[in-house]
Amino acid sequence: MIPGKRRAAVMSFSMAIFGTLMLQSVSSQNEPSISASDQTTINGDVDSITLQCNLTSAYETHQESFWMKNGEEIQLTRGPDKNTEYKLNRPRAEDAGVYMCVYTFNMGPSANATIEVKSAPVITGHKRSENKNEGQLAVLYCKSVGYPHPIWTWYKFDNGAFRDIDNSSGRFIITSRDNYTELHIINLDINLDPGEYMCNATNIIGNNTEKSVLRVRSLLAPLWPLLGVLAEIIILVVIIVVYEKRKKPEDLQDAGPVKTNSTNNHKDKNLRQRNTN
Amino acid sequence: MPPAAGSNLGYKPPDGGWGWAVVFAAFISIGFSYAFPKSLTIYFKEIQEYFSVSYSEIAWVSSVMLASMYAGGPVSSILVNRYGSRPVVMVGGIMVSVAMVLASFGTTIIHLYLCVGVIGGFGLAFNLQPALTIIGTYFQVKRPIANGLAMTGSPVVLSTLAPLNQFLFDSFGWRGSFLILGSIVLNCCVAAALMRPVNKCAQPNPNTDSPQFNGAVTEGADADTSTELANPLPGECQDESKSKSCCSKFIDLSLFRHRGFLIYLSGNVVMFFGFFAPVVFLAPYAKHQGTDEYSAALLLSIFALVDMFIRPITGLIGNSKWVRPRIQYFFSFAVSYNGICHLLCPLASGYKGLVVYAVFFGSAFGMLSALLFEVLMDLVGAHRFSSAVGLVTIIECGPVLLGPPISGALVDIFGDYKYMYYACGILMLLPGIFFFIMHYYNYKKLEEERRQSTAGEMRTSEEAVQLKMDQNVKTTNETDR
Repeated sequence: MIPGKRRAAVMSFSMAIFGTLMLQSVSSQNEPSISASDQTTINGDVDSITLQCNLTSAYETHQESFWMKNGEEIQLTRGPDKNTEYKLNRPRAEDAGVYMCVYTFNMGPSANATIEVKSAPVITGHKRSENKNEGQLAVLYCKSVGYPHPIWTWYKFDNGAFRDIDNSSGRFIITSRDNYTELHIINLDINLDPGEYMCNATNIIGNNTEKSVLRVRSLLAPLWPLLGVLAEIIILVVIIVVYEKRKKPEDLQDAGPVKTNSTNNHKDKNLRQRNTN
Repeated sequence: MPPAAGSNLGYKPPDGGWGWAVVFAAFISIGFSYAFPKSLTIYFKEIQEYFSVSYSEIAWVSSVMLASMYAGGPVSSILVNRYGSRPVVMVGGIMVSVAMVLASFGTTIIHLYLCVGVIGGFGLAFNLQPALTIIGTYFQVKRPIANGLAMTGSPVVLSTLAPLNQFLFDSFGWRGSFLILGSIVLNCCVAAALMRPVNKCAQPNPNTDSPQFNGAVTEGADADTSTELANPLPGECQDESKSKSCCSKFIDLSLFRHRGFLIYLSGNVVMFFGFFAPVVFLAPYAKHQGTDEYSAALLLSIFALVDMFIRPITGLIGNSKWVRPRIQYFFSFAVSYNGICHLLCPLASGYKGLVVYAVFFGSAFGMLSALLFEVLMDLVGAHRFSSAVGLVTIIECGPVLLGPPISGALVDIFGDYKYMYYACGILMLLPGIFFFIMHYYNYKKLEEERRQSTAGEMRTSEEAVQLKMDQNVKTTNETDR
């Protein structure tokens, strides 16, 4: 190579590297940096959790700061602090989620940092028992709180243990999203479907379960009590009517003398009175 | 001595014997009539979800049933006047049963209105009136006790039906339950079978069988020699099951000229506006005060328990020789007592106060219910009672239906229950005082009329004796000649 050209190439190459390095440092100087506390896990022993955010460097003074949980702003957290804190007193599973501290600027976009507060899922809503008729649709559901959103599974109590649901008939449909799951059973079968069902919510921290009892009523079930009561009523009516019919001929005997005309009446009465005398 | 109104029956009521079986039958019929509409409310939530209708649309089922039950009163009276109690109750029982069975296959809410509401309501009307009427034919001296016992049917059947309905609902769902209730209601037909028409010819000797023969004979001899007024003619004995020939075959509208009836009717119309509302609002008021659901339900149970026991006791008191002649005053007292109870209710503080209120209210409600029809029988007599009760129920239909919604509106407007209690209290206290005054006047008038009529009888019997003496003198004169 010509000696002059090599020198030019080296010069331009080093200029390029220097330029990018300069650019890097300039851009990193423009972006605000926030130091935030680490992600935590909620469990029973912890009395309170404090989330901290500190705006360590920024190209200008920030306007205000506030906190958000799961994408929604938390009320009454707006303030001018650079070092901002959010305290969770006696945290429970519903306090878990994705928390963000946000700093707003006059010129330029806002900066934020994310802190995850995790917990094992806790099932807050489920149907303890469900009674449905044969052939109907039964819906069992479970609701939970906690973060991250759990994976839902359903089990049925069979032969002494909870096992996976056998969906060979295709009648079981499970729909789950985030903190909610539903188990649809179409066309209830009175022999196969009744029993205990369990929903299981599992995430990286832990899992929880709840049980629901499903009862299926036979369509013909009310017939037996119906026939029983009808039989009882017919028997009672027959007894009462027969009793009355047997008493009536005796009553008619008493009324006998009254039926004939009055003169005969007197004669009969006199006869009887003579007898008693 | 009971006042004159009821004693001109034309025969002597048994006052016992088979009468107690009839009281039991009336107990069942009256119990179903009053308790059935109330106990059906247990199914409403499920039916509401099934048909996807609003709460007020479901509540209409109960209202239509109650309205039909009261509106069917005159129809029931006409039929009882014509055919007697037994066939009407039998038909009524079958109607309600068929209505419930049809309703269990219902596909729309209109279906339920028609079946349970209209047909069921009419069937219950055919149960209520004849049951009340037949007590009047079987009892005269012990009538208040009989009435008190029969009216006890309402709380007893309600406390039986409420948990039974809950059990049926859990086991069979609402359709299966309606089917089974349709058969349970057929017990009214059993009650109908017991309601044998009273035997107007046999003289009252309930415990004797063979001696009755002699008894009938000797008393029959006495009957022939006494005046004809006290005994029916021989031909009528076989016609016991046919209508009473001395009364009009259809409804007796001349009752509107009867002073006692008008007093009763006017007082009752005002009273019924405030009668049922406190019962309906007892549990919501308790919840409003902060008690939990179970304690509020316990209040209702306390109320029903006290109600159940006070009704026969009221019957016993009403039958005692001090109260019986002046039973209208006892009734006025019961109405006023109700009013005072409601006026004092807002003073009750805390759960204990509510329990005390429930006890007093239970006793007041029971007293009033036990006497409600007894005083009507006392005023118009057993003959015209069936027409009277028919007219009274159809006129009371309005206040009974409008009372709870108006009270509910009062609660909504003022946001406080105490104004509703004040209103109900006044609506019951005023008729109570009205009854006291009017019955004082009525008793005085009845005394005057009785004195006039006995004076008239004495005059006619004196004239008859005078006539006989003149005749004897004439015949002796003739024989002498």
